[in-house]
Amino acid sequence: MNATVESRVDTAIIDEIISRHKGKPGELLTVMEEVQEASEFKFLDDASMEYLSSQTRVPLSRIYSVATFYSFFNLKPQGKHSLIVCRGTACHTKGSKVLLDDLALLPGCKEAFDSGETTFTTEDKQITVKTVACFGQCALAPVVAVDGVIYSNVTSEQIKKLLQNLQEDNKDENFRLS
Amino acid sequence: MGNKLKITINGETVEVEKGTSILDAAKQVGVIIPTLCYHKDLCVAGNCRVCVVEIAGQKRLAAACATPCEEGMDVLTNTHKVRNSRKHIIELLLSEHNADCTSCYKNGNCELQLLASEYKIMNQDFIHLVPFKNYTVDMFSPSIIKDDSKCIRCQRCVRTCAELQSVNALTMSYKGEHAKITTFFEKSMNDVVCTNCGQCINHCPTGALVEKNYIEEVWSAIADKNKYVVVQTAPAVRVGLGEELGFDPGERVTGKMVAALKRLGFDAVMDTDFTADLTIMEEGTELLTRLKGALVDKNPDIKLPMATSCSPGWIKFIEHMYPDYLGNLSTCKSPQQMFGALVKTYYAKARKIEPDKIVSVSIMPCTAKKFEASRPEMHDSGYRDVDYVLTTRELAIMIKQAGIDFMKLNDMHYDRLMGESTGAGVIFGATGGVMEAALRTAYELVTGREVPFENLNINPVRGMEGVKEASVKIEKPLSEWSFLEGVELRCAVAHGLVNAKKVMDAIKAGKANYHFIEFMACPGGCLGGGGQPIPTSPEIRKRRAEAIYAEDAGMPLRKSHQNPEVVKIYKDFLGKPLGEKSHHLLHTKYVPRKRY
Repeated sequence: MNATVESRVDTAIIDEIISRHKGKPGELLTVMEEVQEASEFKFLDDASMEYLSSQTRVPLSRIYSVATFYSFFNLKPQGKHSLIVCRGTACHTKGSKVLLDDLALLPGCKEAFDSGETTFTTEDKQITVKTVACFGQCALAPVVAVDGVIYSNVTSEQIKKLLQNLQEDNKDENFRLS
Repeated sequence: MGNKLKITINGETVEVEKGTSILDAAKQVGVIIPTLCYHKDLCVAGNCRVCVVEIAGQKRLAAACATPCEEGMDVLTNTHKVRNSRKHIIELLLSEHNADCTSCYKNGNCELQLLASEYKIMNQDFIHLVPFKNYTVDMFSPSIIKDDSKCIRCQRCVRTCAELQSVNALTMSYKGEHAKITTFFEKSMNDVVCTNCGQCINHCPTGALVEKNYIEEVWSAIADKNKYVVVQTAPAVRVGLGEELGFDPGERVTGKMVAALKRLGFDAVMDTDFTADLTIMEEGTELLTRLKGALVDKNPDIKLPMATSCSPGWIKFIEHMYPDYLGNLSTCKSPQQMFGALVKTYYAKARKIEPDKIVSVSIMPCTAKKFEASRPEMHDSGYRDVDYVLTTRELAIMIKQAGIDFMKLNDMHYDRLMGESTGAGVIFGATGGVMEAALRTAYELVTGREVPFENLNINPVRGMEGVKEASVKIEKPLSEWSFLEGVELRCAVAHGLVNAKKVMDAIKAGKANYHFIEFMACPGGCLGGGGQPIPTSPEIRKRRAEAIYAEDAGMPLRKSHQNPEVVKIYKDFLGKPLGEKSHHLLHTKYVPRKRY
């Protein structure tokens, strides 16, 4: 459905991951996590899930159930960089919707979120924007995370700067802002 | 004592077994507690909360279905708090439910509608969320329509698909307010492992899962003066239909059903039992041929055990799950499809009707039959062999629409040529029935004597045990079958796909050495089929089975090879079992499928 042939995880890699975790508690979650990690665009493609199901005998629908339950799992290709905007109650009252709207600088981003999506990836697979319900950092609202680093009391100027640095691949500059 | 304990419900003391739920204990003292996610066939989920009750000394209400009784418990089911909570729960469910009841297929047979009516939900305190949700309706399957806007996420379908059928086509995906019941990647039911068995329909409390109905198409065919509309009725329909029309479960309504079908305007009313008997002739001969190939010719290509092929849900299951074993399936078409192929050839010729003028309709206890009729292999008459498949429920709807007072009908007989049946054909409707019918005929064919069971009743293959086993030792066979002397014919019967899986896994592991196995997709066999009246329960299925065996016991002929119309069709048309014509019209091939 969403996987091009090139983006599929090699079955030999999946076999290796399965054999390493066979019989351990929480096997399925760990295997799914590592398969996602092994994928070039950090997501679970349908072919990999089908292969995983055929090898572990876990029904395919159940794998899908687990993959949709945890927001950690991605069902669509992810960009090289991630930009996560918290849409929890505290961040919302401190204006996180405005921050999300500021990302309209990325064509298609605003439309995706307005239509109810919770994730958007640029066509060149450079940047993925996501929303989450809460980071647990409410005192620092509004909060965003860029490539796993948390930024607090973010303003419109800041998020635009963070985005610009990402686009220019200027990591060090972003670290300084954190 | 020990295993017994006492509790009080609304002040009345009741003694129950340890482990009994409050829900079941309440039933014993005549207290009805409403339920939605609870179903007798399934494990307890406790997610809908509408069965809440108050337990003295506990602050929070408890779900009666999921709470076991404890010694001395004081349960109250009719307090202000309980009534109010239930009402709010129903209101919350309705706030996300497309409650356009008058345009719903399940109108009048919906558990949520019934509760809303009992609790008189007159005004909505909660925002109606349906317009804000992006609900989808999946209509691509030829058998099942899945409408998410009617779903209350009780997960009865998910549990049915997993626990009863081990198909796992349906699952719970996403969470919280986004939670919904989907297939893998939200594909259509038509594109996943779904076997079309329809058990999810039988267990759905609302209109979220219903059969795709073909009622209007059949009405149009009947009204078309240029068409000759032939109808066949499956064995299990006669013991289920009454439930939709005012009778208690277990009532046999064969004669009334025939009379009703004639009143509806069908040009010929005939019986799938006839082709059930024919199936026995073909399948029995196939089994004996396979045994000869394996035992005498030692042919390594002969696949044993041979598995029955009457149940289209089971066929799609094995195609998806065990594609390496398709060679073990009997090549016989199901009785429905044999009938379809013959009605546009044999019947058309005998009655001098152009086959393209014939519309072939079948009444089935089954939704998978709708899919089966649409398979590309099923055009051997040169036309689509079965044009429309209606479930028992759809027939009941037509009878009501036509204004027929079913109770008052006088019994009528099936039309001739393909309407004669034996007791062996009738018991196809119950689990173990195909096996029993096959043994009655095969044993007699081989030995010239009746099968060595009292009154032809092969009790080991009857009943509701998930997997049943039987063996028959063949002694003093006729000379042409002398190679079977002393052979112990080992048989097994499995119903419900979860049991089919057990048997198939045993075969795969090399732990089963049967010769012949009957597989039925639905619990109880066809009488518990996905097209039968709702509700279903172990008790209802037991009563339908009793009715099937009573019908068999009352038949003058009880062995398939005695059916005079079967004898006639071989003489006039088919030649012999497994002959060239049979091969062309009555046998088929199977397709390996993927596991999603």
